[in-house]
Amino acid sequence: MKKGLILGLAGATLLVAACSADPLSIPNLNSPTVAGASGDAAALQLQATGVLRQLRGGLGGYITVTARFGREGYIYTPNEGRNTSHFLIGLSGANKLDPAGFAVGVWGGNYGNLRDLFNLKNVITGSTTLTAAQKSAGMGFARTIEALELLYVISTRDSLGAVTQINQNASELAPFVSRDSVYRYIIGTLNAADADLVAGGAAFPFTIQQGFAGFTTPATFRQFNRAIAARAAVYHATRGAGAPAWAQAQTAIAASFLNRTAANAAAMNVGLYHVYSTATGDALNGVGQNADFLAHPLHDNQMEVGDLRGSKDSILTVARNAPQGLGIATDLAIARYATNTSPVPVIRNEELLLLDAEIRWNTGDKAGAVANLNVVRAVSGGLPASTVTAASTDTQFVDELLRQRRYSLFVEGHRWVDHRRYGRLAALPLDLPTGTNAHFVARVMPLPQAECLVRARANDPLLAGPGC
Amino acid sequence: MGTRKLVAAILAFSLALGGSEARAQGTREVTGKVTQVGGMPLSEASVTVLGQPIGARTNEAGEYRLRVPAGEVTLLVRAIGYKRSSVKVGASAATQDFALEKDVLQLEGVTVTGAATTIDRRNATTAVASVNTDELNRVPGRSIENQLSGKVLGARIFENNGAPGGGAQIQIRGATSILGQGDPLYVIDGVIVSNASIPNAANSISRASGTAISSGQDNAVNRLADINPSDIESVEVLKSAAASAIYGSRATNGVVVITTKRGRSGAPSWNITQRVGTAALFRKIGFREWGTISDLVPANDPLTTANESIEWVGNAAAIPIAQALCNPNCTNYDYEQQLFGRTDPTYETLLSTRGGAGNTKYFASVSDKQEAGIMLRTGARRTSGRINIDQTIGSNLTVSGGLGVTRNFNQRGITNNNNAGISPTYDLGYIPHVIDFRRKADGSWPVNPFYAGGSSVSNPIANTEYIKNSEEVWRQTGNIRIAYQAFSNAQHNVNVSYAAGLDRFHQDGIGFSPPFLQFEPNDTFSGTSSVSTSQNFQMNQGVNVVWTWTPTIPWINSMTTSFGGTAEDQVQKTYRTMGRGLLPTVGLSSGAAETSVNDGRTAFKDQSLYINEQALFLNEALSVAVGVRMDRSSANGDREQYYTFPKYSAAYRFEKPWWASEYTDEIKLRASWGQSGNRPRWADRDVLFANGGIIDGRGSLVSAGTLGNPSIKPETMSETDVGIDASFFGQRMNFELTRYERVITGLLLTFPLPPSSGLTQQIVNGGQLSVKGWEFGITGIPYQSGEFTWTSRMNYTSNRQNVDNLLVDGQIVPNFAVPGSFGSTYGRNRIASGLRSTLIWANAPLGVGGAVRDTIVGDANPYHQTQFVNDFTFGRWNVSTLLDWRNGGLVSNMTNNLWDEGGNSRDFDEPMPGTNTTKGLHRYYDRFSAGDSRVYIQSGTYLKLREVTVSYSAPAAFTAKYLRGAKDLRLSLSGRNLWVKTDYWSYDPEFNNFGNTNFNRFIDLAPFPTSRQFFFSVDVGY
Repeated sequence: MKKGLILGLAGATLLVAACSADPLSIPNLNSPTVAGASGDAAALQLQATGVLRQLRGGLGGYITVTARFGREGYIYTPNEGRNTSHFLIGLSGANKLDPAGFAVGVWGGNYGNLRDLFNLKNVITGSTTLTAAQKSAGMGFARTIEALELLYVISTRDSLGAVTQINQNASELAPFVSRDSVYRYIIGTLNAADADLVAGGAAFPFTIQQGFAGFTTPATFRQFNRAIAARAAVYHATRGAGAPAWAQAQTAIAASFLNRTAANAAAMNVGLYHVYSTATGDALNGVGQNADFLAHPLHDNQMEVGDLRGSKDSILTVARNAPQGLGIATDLAIARYATNTSPVPVIRNEELLLLDAEIRWNTGDKAGAVANLNVVRAVSGGLPASTVTAASTDTQFVDELLRQRRYSLFVEGHRWVDHRRYGRLAALPLDLPTGTNAHFVARVMPLPQAECLVRARANDPLLAGPGC
Repeated sequence: MGTRKLVAAILAFSLALGGSEARAQGTREVTGKVTQVGGMPLSEASVTVLGQPIGARTNEAGEYRLRVPAGEVTLLVRAIGYKRSSVKVGASAATQDFALEKDVLQLEGVTVTGAATTIDRRNATTAVASVNTDELNRVPGRSIENQLSGKVLGARIFENNGAPGGGAQIQIRGATSILGQGDPLYVIDGVIVSNASIPNAANSISRASGTAISSGQDNAVNRLADINPSDIESVEVLKSAAASAIYGSRATNGVVVITTKRGRSGAPSWNITQRVGTAALFRKIGFREWGTISDLVPANDPLTTANESIEWVGNAAAIPIAQALCNPNCTNYDYEQQLFGRTDPTYETLLSTRGGAGNTKYFASVSDKQEAGIMLRTGARRTSGRINIDQTIGSNLTVSGGLGVTRNFNQRGITNNNNAGISPTYDLGYIPHVIDFRRKADGSWPVNPFYAGGSSVSNPIANTEYIKNSEEVWRQTGNIRIAYQAFSNAQHNVNVSYAAGLDRFHQDGIGFSPPFLQFEPNDTFSGTSSVSTSQNFQMNQGVNVVWTWTPTIPWINSMTTSFGGTAEDQVQKTYRTMGRGLLPTVGLSSGAAETSVNDGRTAFKDQSLYINEQALFLNEALSVAVGVRMDRSSANGDREQYYTFPKYSAAYRFEKPWWASEYTDEIKLRASWGQSGNRPRWADRDVLFANGGIIDGRGSLVSAGTLGNPSIKPETMSETDVGIDASFFGQRMNFELTRYERVITGLLLTFPLPPSSGLTQQIVNGGQLSVKGWEFGITGIPYQSGEFTWTSRMNYTSNRQNVDNLLVDGQIVPNFAVPGSFGSTYGRNRIASGLRSTLIWANAPLGVGGAVRDTIVGDANPYHQTQFVNDFTFGRWNVSTLLDWRNGGLVSNMTNNLWDEGGNSRDFDEPMPGTNTTKGLHRYYDRFSAGDSRVYIQSGTYLKLREVTVSYSAPAAFTAKYLRGAKDLRLSLSGRNLWVKTDYWSYDPEFNNFGNTNFNRFIDLAPFPTSRQFFFSVDVGY
């Protein structure tokens, strides 16, 4: 009897400790686990939306960062001078930006989205419910966004190169590769995406936000893919790849949504946009109705008389001083984006027209190039035909091209990149050319210090980043 | 499956024992009476035959009856609070009386060694800190931590601020974790109880941490405040890993084992205590006297700031108002007195009864305590009830159980950091004290025209009158223990027990700020209403088998083997809502212009198996204990994996050692080594997506910046603890010295990932912390004569806390500031390899006029903390005092910073020696604004008279005459925080803006001020 009791009670010890198969499993109800979401039917849509959300988040920063480097405008926050000094002065007297400072964006967020795209691609390839065509369409979508994110990164890091690879194990460092390799990777990825989209059937396995209206099927999204491919190839061509890249660009743009006969603003604005709203959880564009985001005074002063784009881009406001000792006053508010929820373009026909002009000039159709410039001048600027002709010099053409790009693509993230492509960073104005707070034009953005510190610890020259 | 084999082996062994039969013996009966020396009979004293599992307890009249073996035996008598006594009883003697001496030095008693085992304190192998009910309840406090403060050797006990109703932290032997749990484990009658600090919704109004509903700066009450200290019989603190290893992976911060009062056999006795008291502002920080308008708006401003023409009124529009107020002289108003000058009475009523009849013993109590806060509209009320029952069924089965219910209601007001202009101590620093903020005769409130800290201005008295920050907690605890004596004979005793405990509470927090207050539109919404509701459930249960072997082998006295297992569950659900922009007269979020919701749930399941062996050898001179506990938890990456926590300890007692002086009674040497753990936090193991937000009306998922770790495991502490205990002069002096060295490895850390991986950081195990310290206690009776006894005790604690390394798989985690800290401007702990973890890092120039760097400016850890307890008894009178001395330890005095910036510090105008400026201008503008934060990192040294009590026990004749039926009557007058000697500028150097934190607990930022408390108590026993 007693034996039995002891046995029973002691046996209960065992039962308490080890009864069912997995007694200590507790689901996390607060946040979705990656493992749990990968098998969930709704997760694909949520992840695809997440990718577009991240892409949108990055663009606002890209525009305000490149606008300051390209002297399109300033961020004059009254209580935070570093929003100016870290971009225009950097490390005082060193003509260098501070890796631990503010001007280190267009990095972590973009790679965050590359991590999400890595996960999305895994979910698509591993899916057992998607058809082959749906998988192909999904991969085409993911690869196109991936290439676009990397294009933003290399546009800001240029000669430093970048990282193109996401490792499953996040603590395993991915190698740094050269600018040329990054461009090849981007164009290769876009081409692979193009092939995916061609085989992608009639529809994506998820819904794409309405700002991309007109480009939400694999067939139409492909036009977007080709537009980005044209932009990437043009950038690559002007950063040392030359004729073969121009040829790639020519092929790509032909399959894009380029409309060379755009006759009005609506035709110029055909393209893909990020959308914003004031709903809880949504975001504002950060560039419209931003009282601290002001245009450079030269924006108006250097404009051709009668250019309609003047009143579109900027409006006179109360003169605003730069934070103490950091620059010059300006009385130009930026009106390019009317409200804080105005859509912000990813790419639109006006840019394609100008890219097409650049491609034609460099692939033998100089008359066609000039024609494109004149369409932009007339439709967007209300201006007469340019003095540039097919007989003009390359310099004359580039002058006119950059002027049209400056005013047509104002605060869309181009001027600094364009000036670097044509070796004209020195042509950008310096508000304070001398003194301890002398301004300079940054050639590239540095790697964030967090990246440097992690790479420095690796003690492997192949993994160490440049500029660390 | 090693564990199963182990358990099976133990089972087989206990079965083998069960097989032997009890042998019949010749016995006889011994009877007698146990009294205290020259006095009352002692009930519940235990009378045992030395070396044999035979015993009895005395009844109400102190009488016992015991069946003992034939022949000479030694009887041992013990009673709680009295020294033991043993007498040899001859083979023919049938009676033996005992008179026990009071154990004023607390040499007796037992200490916990396992879930179902204890050991006599004198045989304990590790340092023991315990506090009995008398010591604990000498002076009432707002929560049990207050009452323990200064009484536990090796523990530092801090009040987080002076708000009524609680909010305090116990830290035992330093901080042992950076990100993980930092509180000790609390066990009451076998129930693992929650000491969660769940912030309510103060942040929704104070906006101390942005627009979140709640934050760590909300001045949360930790739930130990729900305990009625009068129900407690004893508190025992398990400090070293060898002692706390019995609680496995939740024990690195020490374990506080609380035992409540239980029934005693005999007729019911009743105890009624009525207290009435009051509290008053302990120390004022004062304010700068404003003379004329030129003080408020200096014509020739000494400052060269941009707003010089509006110093100190903050804006041009306020200048004419100030001129009107100071015409010609300013009237100064003592806002501190107006806000914190309340001295309303505090009441406490306690009623308890205990008794026992036949096989049943019971204890029951009810209590109600109403504490008035010194700040307007603040207070706390705790109402509780408890029943403990012990029931013996037959000769072998005992069932014990307890039930407790508490309602705890707090109105704490809003203090600490804020960004809304409503935390009184914060805002008074910015308001020149020249305007009368009291309600006007027409019922309206004066408007504040002056600038307050850059964010908002408002009327501090109106704010305090109308803003609500209250919480109500209903808590239920229950425990049951079933013990069965499975087998017993002269040599063997096997007990099997099952114990289970339950602790649940519902915390309901309310925050409300009406739309009409002056500051309300500043966050673009007028009026804020918020609700925070938390459900907390914990359950633990366990099975224990204890086999005691008392062999007839001369050099082995006893061997106790115990084994068993436990299972624990915890769930916390928290739901919060906030509405901003309220409809008029509406006090809820419904209809608010903006609402937000936050819903969270955390849960844990833990299981363990253990086996312990404790043995006494050589006439109980040598005591040895070894054991191991194996734990697994849902919080670990591998939840099937058991983590083992072994312990080894031994002590040897030299009784009347020949090599020591004749005054030496006993010297005990003890040493132990053990391991305990600290399990990972909720969700550390999960690789999660984050909510990406909305685009085009559609939700999204994105990667979380922090990567969970599916192989996360508990932090492990290994501790060596050696010590000497000695007693001298016929046990009139007792001495205790302990040296401990603890090393914590596998810390929870966040390891930075390359941003190009797309993630920010990963949770990892790595690095190493260490704490090395000394504990020294000396207790004695310096003087005793006739009816006069002076008992004295000193506790000395010091330690050094270090970050030994931050290595994770051969890579170093870069230095980082601990979570929950402000920037380098205000000082914070940084975790840096090779440096002390308690160092304060803040901005300071390198050399005179050098570049400003975030550098080490001092240490928050005191050189030592020492307490002196002195107790004088003269006949019926008793006077007891507790003096607490903290030597060193720096504090970030942000309160001083605020008051200097606003130009209101009491010493602002005093000339600063060695300069041609004033103290206030020097501190804030010449030093702090120039990047030297050291001026506000100030010494926290204090000497504080924490407790004084004077009590008188009325003579029996008096009691009998005036209180019919009463047995005893005691009157006492006691006080808490009566006096302090410190150079500290603000209210109290032990306060912390962030509440209970592992590190960084030295931020004084506009706290609720300390109060001096007085109580008059009448205790009547029936």
